[in-house]
Amino acid sequence: MSGLELKKVCKSYGAVEVIKDLSLQIESGEFVVFVGPSGCGKSTLLRMIAGLEDCSGGTVEIGGEDVTDAEPSDRGIAMVFQSYALYPHMSVRDNIGFGLSLAKTPKAEMNARVEEAAKILQLTDYLDRKPKALSGGQRQRVAIGRAIVRNPKVFLFDEPLSNLDAALRAKMRLELTELHANLNVTMVYVTHDQVEAMTMADKIVVLNKGVIEQVGKPMDLYNNPATAFVAGFIGSPQMNLLEGAAARKLGAEIYGIRPEHIDISRESGLWRSTVRQIERLGNDAILYLDVEDVGSLTVTTDGQTDVVIGDMLFATPQPQNEHRFPTIAR
Amino acid sequence: MKQLRPAILGCITLVVFCVIFVVPFFFIALQAVKDRQGSSLLNFSWPSETQLWQNLVDVVQARDYQLLLAYFNSTVITVFSVTGLVIFAAMVGYVLQRRPSKWNKYVNFAVLAGLMIPPAVVPTIWLLQQIGLFKTIHGMILIEIAYNLSFSILLYRAFIATVPRDLDEAARIDGAKPLQLFFRVILPLLKPVTVTNIVVQSIAIFNDFTNPLYYLPGKDNVTVQLTLYNFQSQFSTQYHLLFMNILLVTIPPLIVFIFFNKQIVEGMTAGAVKG
Amino acid sequence: MPTAQIEKKPRKTSGSPYPLWFFLPAGVIYGVLFLVPTFASLYFSLTRWNLFNSTFIGFENFLSFVQEPFLIKGLINTVIFAVSTALLKTIIGLALGILLTSNIRMRGLLRTIAFFPILVSTIGIGITFAVMMHPTRGIINVSLELIGIDGPGWLTDPTLALYSVAFVEVWRGVGLASVIFIAGLVSIPRDYYEAARIDGATKWQQFKRITLPLVQPATATVMILSFVYGLRSFELIWTMTKGGPGFSSDVIASVIYKQYQAGFYGLSTAGNVILFILIAVMVMPLVAYFNRREVDL
Ligand SMILES: Nc1ncnc2c1ncn2[C@@H]1O[C@H](COP(=O)(O)OP(=O)(O)OP(=O)(O)O)[C@@H](O)[C@H]1O
Ligand SMILES: [Mg+2]
Repeated sequence: MSGLELKKVCKSYGAVEVIKDLSLQIESGEFVVFVGPSGCGKSTLLRMIAGLEDCSGGTVEIGGEDVTDAEPSDRGIAMVFQSYALYPHMSVRDNIGFGLSLAKTPKAEMNARVEEAAKILQLTDYLDRKPKALSGGQRQRVAIGRAIVRNPKVFLFDEPLSNLDAALRAKMRLELTELHANLNVTMVYVTHDQVEAMTMADKIVVLNKGVIEQVGKPMDLYNNPATAFVAGFIGSPQMNLLEGAAARKLGAEIYGIRPEHIDISRESGLWRSTVRQIERLGNDAILYLDVEDVGSLTVTTDGQTDVVIGDMLFATPQPQNEHRFPTIAR
Repeated sequence: MKQLRPAILGCITLVVFCVIFVVPFFFIALQAVKDRQGSSLLNFSWPSETQLWQNLVDVVQARDYQLLLAYFNSTVITVFSVTGLVIFAAMVGYVLQRRPSKWNKYVNFAVLAGLMIPPAVVPTIWLLQQIGLFKTIHGMILIEIAYNLSFSILLYRAFIATVPRDLDEAARIDGAKPLQLFFRVILPLLKPVTVTNIVVQSIAIFNDFTNPLYYLPGKDNVTVQLTLYNFQSQFSTQYHLLFMNILLVTIPPLIVFIFFNKQIVEGMTAGAVKG
Repeated sequence: MPTAQIEKKPRKTSGSPYPLWFFLPAGVIYGVLFLVPTFASLYFSLTRWNLFNSTFIGFENFLSFVQEPFLIKGLINTVIFAVSTALLKTIIGLALGILLTSNIRMRGLLRTIAFFPILVSTIGIGITFAVMMHPTRGIINVSLELIGIDGPGWLTDPTLALYSVAFVEVWRGVGLASVIFIAGLVSIPRDYYEAARIDGATKWQQFKRITLPLVQPATATVMILSFVYGLRSFELIWTMTKGGPGFSSDVIASVIYKQYQAGFYGLSTAGNVILFILIAVMVMPLVAYFNRREVDL
């Protein structure tokens, strides 16, 4: 049971700075999700916590201990990889127990711990199979089992669900959340899927080009994004971000309004627009509007709406949900 | 008609291949079972009297059971040098592929040099004498390792590139030390290319003639290929025994080939084309 | 208590998970038994040497190689042997490769048969062919006689001996060459051929425009390997002709052995160095050529 602290860590490959002077405090038992666009340094940061990458500067502390120079295996962490990284030549049992056998754990204790982990993950029937003979979801669970059995202080996940299909992903999302509740340990989870971030996290860390844009609870980020970048990244469909004259008219360098926070009417409103495209999702419909002098606007509305392409509509932002930002993302 | 063509082409090719590639083997086998007179004709006539067993006994007994000694020596050399090759070459190929370091360009150069440069024979003999390894089986084993390392390293390096690095990292997190990582995680995964290596190198070393000729002279150190060479003059009038000898020393590679035919062809090509 | 805590702080025990000492066992064996003699040969080739003492004589040994007719002959023969076997192995190997990747029955069996000669030791093959090439009783000439041709003395005619051995070398190595070509050929995506056929390319055009350029890495491998092998060839020549008749089929490798047997260790070592130089001079441009071509693709 212990938290994690990064103090001014940085990482560069040659002249390229991938992580810049990053500090972050993670409380014990928290489920923290790193999100950000591809290449922003999420995996790098996670691997620095794991000890798979050296830090170019700064310190990493786990449970109050400085582990900056410690071997990955001495840090009290466990990691689940996107590719699962199961040892193909070992049975599920040996895969899960490999770490214990390296640590010269007595046979009986090892078996007990492997079987307990298998029980938690419903893998008991598959213990003697090779990874080749498992489904994607089962492999995923073996990878998690290998992590559980180490009894780590911190679990690290690097996009563990991105190789699964949509239905299985939703199921595993739930299972992971439950696992977190049961084990009550610190988990750090990397994803670029903002749905995973919103649904699973106690705390989201939004990264952009190697620096933290914002840290906060999922709903805080949704309601009060600190920067236009966060605003654009959290929430789906993306927030409308207006710049230039249109924004200045509304009193901001950048003016943001979420698609679900725009009211439409056929009679009157702030912006006169024509409907360019409609996507019907069932309970919702997404309208793409062309507004004179403003540009394109995305609006979500009721799925049963009778609007058709080419209609003329008035759109009005809800004043209590407007966002104003000084300038665009770095 | 259109479906017939592959079959016809196949049959014609088979006949041509048999004449070109198989007839010499048939010739060897045929001479090996003839008697002295029959084999001295050197032709394809069916032997009037086959004496397989008699020839076999004669060859084995020749020169005080030299062939048995040669079998023993060749087997020892082959087994130990191939074992060394597999482990040492895998270690080099592994670090070479996994870790970019300033040493890599020298190692790569050494690998290429080993593949191309002909060994300097007499200086090697001189060196072996200095360190007391000349005319010894273990000296021969080390020589075979040194000369065949390059090829094995190329095979391993190409294959290790296909083993995902995530596995290394998972093992490190599980607490594997470098040696454990290599011997318990990586080496087992290299089995296909290890089989290729074992097969190709054991055939090459078992069939090696030049190196034992130079570095392993002496009656007690004779290897199977040298028995052929020795018998070539002694048996110049006893072709049936010479060919029986050829037949006998071809059996081990043949067995290896029959068992691992597929791996040889696949592994050779994978390594050769990438390397 | 607090001090105990500080001491427990984990230390970085070792550096990389890929320690450089993994190079060591191979490096020591290779360095001592291959590199040291190679460098030593540079010195000893400049001496008159009997393993116990060596007298420095400058370039005398090398001069012999360009002055003594039998040594010059060996030099020329080496090049002829290497060039002819490498070219033939490449051309026939490619043809066999194409045949064995085409739509043909019994492909697996045929591939296996072509690979067969690799199994028998070079010595065994040499002896067998030497017997089959016997001028009067050998089955080759006996067969030729049946159809009314008076076969030559394949290994006894000085103008022919080297080529007869080269022929056997091609026979021995062509299976391996075709296996390498097969691997190269099957890695060419079928789409290219289909696209070309839709564009109306003839079989010959397909071969020239698609097969040949795309099989290039395999061609390079076969060419370079056979060429190096050809330059270093010893076993086959030694068992079939011993460099004879006279020294008409001597190559550098057999000269090295003969001089070694005769106790001219300095001269023998100079032969080694010359072979080394020959390989460097002839193979490096080939490697460079293929490397450049590959970038173009
Ligand atoms: N070994 C390396 N050498 C140089 N640059 C690297 C290296 N590894 C990663 N990078 C760079 O570091 C940056 C961050 O990479 P990282 O893998 O952390 O991204 P990520 O946020 O995980 O992206 P993704 O969502 O695509 O996985 C990238 O721009 C990448 O190009
Ligand atoms: Mg990543």
